[in-house]
Amino acid sequence: MAEEASIRRPLFEGWLDRGVGLAFPFLVALVVAAFVLLLIGENPIDVFALMFAESFGTQRRIAATLSAATPLLFTGVATAICFRSGVFNVGVEGAFVVGGLCAAFIGFTLPAALGPTLIPLAFGFAAIVSAIWLYVPGFLLARYEVDEVVSTLMLNFVAFGITGYLVNGPLLSEISGNNVTPLVHEAAQLPRLLPPSTLHAGFLVGILVVVLYGIWARRTPSGFEAALVGQSKRFSSAVGISIPATIILVMVLSGVISGLGGGSHALGQLHRFADGFSPGYGFTGMAVALLGRNNAVGIFLGAVLFGALASAGTTVQLFSDIPLDIVNIIEGTVMIFAVVELGRISLSRWRARR
Amino acid sequence: MIIDQVIAASLTLTTPILLAAMGGLVNRQGGIVNIALDAKMLAGAFVAVIVSSMTGGWFFAVVAAAVAGAVIGYLFSLVITRANANMIVAGLGLNVLVAGLIGFVLNWVYDSSGTLRLPDVQLLPKFLPDSVSSIPLFGLALSELEPLTVFAWLTVFALPFLLANTRIGLWVRATGNAPQVARAMGISGRNVQDFSTAFAGFFSGLGGAHLALASIGLFNEGLTAGRGFIALAAFYFGRDRPIATALVCLLFGFLDATQIRMQTAGLPPKLIGTIPYLMVLVALCIAGWRNHRRKAVAP
Repeated sequence: MAEEASIRRPLFEGWLDRGVGLAFPFLVALVVAAFVLLLIGENPIDVFALMFAESFGTQRRIAATLSAATPLLFTGVATAICFRSGVFNVGVEGAFVVGGLCAAFIGFTLPAALGPTLIPLAFGFAAIVSAIWLYVPGFLLARYEVDEVVSTLMLNFVAFGITGYLVNGPLLSEISGNNVTPLVHEAAQLPRLLPPSTLHAGFLVGILVVVLYGIWARRTPSGFEAALVGQSKRFSSAVGISIPATIILVMVLSGVISGLGGGSHALGQLHRFADGFSPGYGFTGMAVALLGRNNAVGIFLGAVLFGALASAGTTVQLFSDIPLDIVNIIEGTVMIFAVVELGRISLSRWRARR
Repeated sequence: MIIDQVIAASLTLTTPILLAAMGGLVNRQGGIVNIALDAKMLAGAFVAVIVSSMTGGWFFAVVAAAVAGAVIGYLFSLVITRANANMIVAGLGLNVLVAGLIGFVLNWVYDSSGTLRLPDVQLLPKFLPDSVSSIPLFGLALSELEPLTVFAWLTVFALPFLLANTRIGLWVRATGNAPQVARAMGISGRNVQDFSTAFAGFFSGLGGAHLALASIGLFNEGLTAGRGFIALAAFYFGRDRPIATALVCLLFGFLDATQIRMQTAGLPPKLIGTIPYLMVLVALCIAGWRNHRRKAVAP
């Protein structure tokens, strides 16, 4: 967060800091995981090597990793865009789920004759509804100073409740049984990029979102102002930046991106909406944003790392008898230590000593 | 007859939320929004089932669950107070980590996925004689009364006193509400916050023990069903005041108890499940709007 506005430091030091920021939580997580693995008598090095091979070993495995990273690109950016303005939005998960349902709804209700135009329609509808979804806590924060952490957290559960009701009631598929909507029309499905794997065009949209976010954050006045608000509210209002307008802007943008993410997951991955649509992509997105220090490149790397973990976990369980839960252990530890300042503090101390 | 059952079920379903909410409330008074109550409840339930099966005694199980919750809470607090981790992200992370660890142990040690069924699990004892069930309306609830429910409600009425009149209570409130004053008085804010987070863990662990040992006597990965977050909603709605929070918990327990009945009346349970969260949103809006108006009148 601090990099953008602080005094320009030599390029190398900035990258070193960022590298440590990204690596430290992962190192802690690997130590924790190694400890757990040692307890059950497995060689952690072997397991990690297997996991690495399973996530980056072959072209197919890389495709699986990128496929798992796709939703995280969206949720990571959607979270970062708020965090860098000091808006603690934890409602990306809910907006993602709502967006997924909206995109799927367009995908199976509108006539199939519309063909590929269904895709922009579905994405557009998802983006609009999710934007409105996060506009509400944004407005409440900007106008009435309603604590955004709690309001967005509560909205997540409201989103789960409403979508859960809809897929079990009015939108329930008649053929497929429980907890799922009908499949979207074939024309509304995003094309697969490397056919045997589930990697789909949503990944490209995600990359585009990350790039646009990077440009917005670093190269536009609006992005700069938003970062300033995150740095110092008093200074920002003194130089004439409207804080309420900035809060609402970042919340709406976050909603749009969450909605696109949900849409891409619905149209590209599942081809429908189902109960349990998101296994916590929004929350993992928070870890991604924090690990990447809200920086576009960092978010991309963070998303790929978590994608690798998710895709490796499932196959590691098949090949060895290590429970899949090892992935949750790693992910949880990374989240706990994601923003710990230990790594950065010790690095700057070390630099000061020299 | 039906009213009897609703009262009894509401009371039973309130207890775990109430216990966690009391812990979270003290924690928030101390300045930490504890979003990981759910993790500690889950850990408490897991430990309670194992210890109850091993020792055959409910009391040890309950104590072990509370201690497990307190230890997790303390460690969690250290990460926040000593290493400056963000309490929200770390809390969400702890939920993931604890679920992962429990799933791992379940899978590895007990070779089961999701559910832990152990022999000789002793449930919480119902200590009132059966004859009380002949009392109208409350009879059934009384006959199902167990120690943790009694303890939870005793806590509700003891907490206002403890927070207002004891040294540690004042320390906790000072740390959360007036950090400068606390520092000026020479109170170590970090230690007080660590204590309050361990306290929250202790009570969440008790809540988890109640979930596991009140009637079902087994552990399931989905046992808490987000009750830690309902507890969070309760003390936010009750604005950190023990008695108000307890009444909100009672309402949530009642909603939980009537969900199944309302389903037969055509109201979908998933939508009813969102009521606690919507209530908090409304409460936040009202509070925000009031503050706003007060500021507008007297700037």
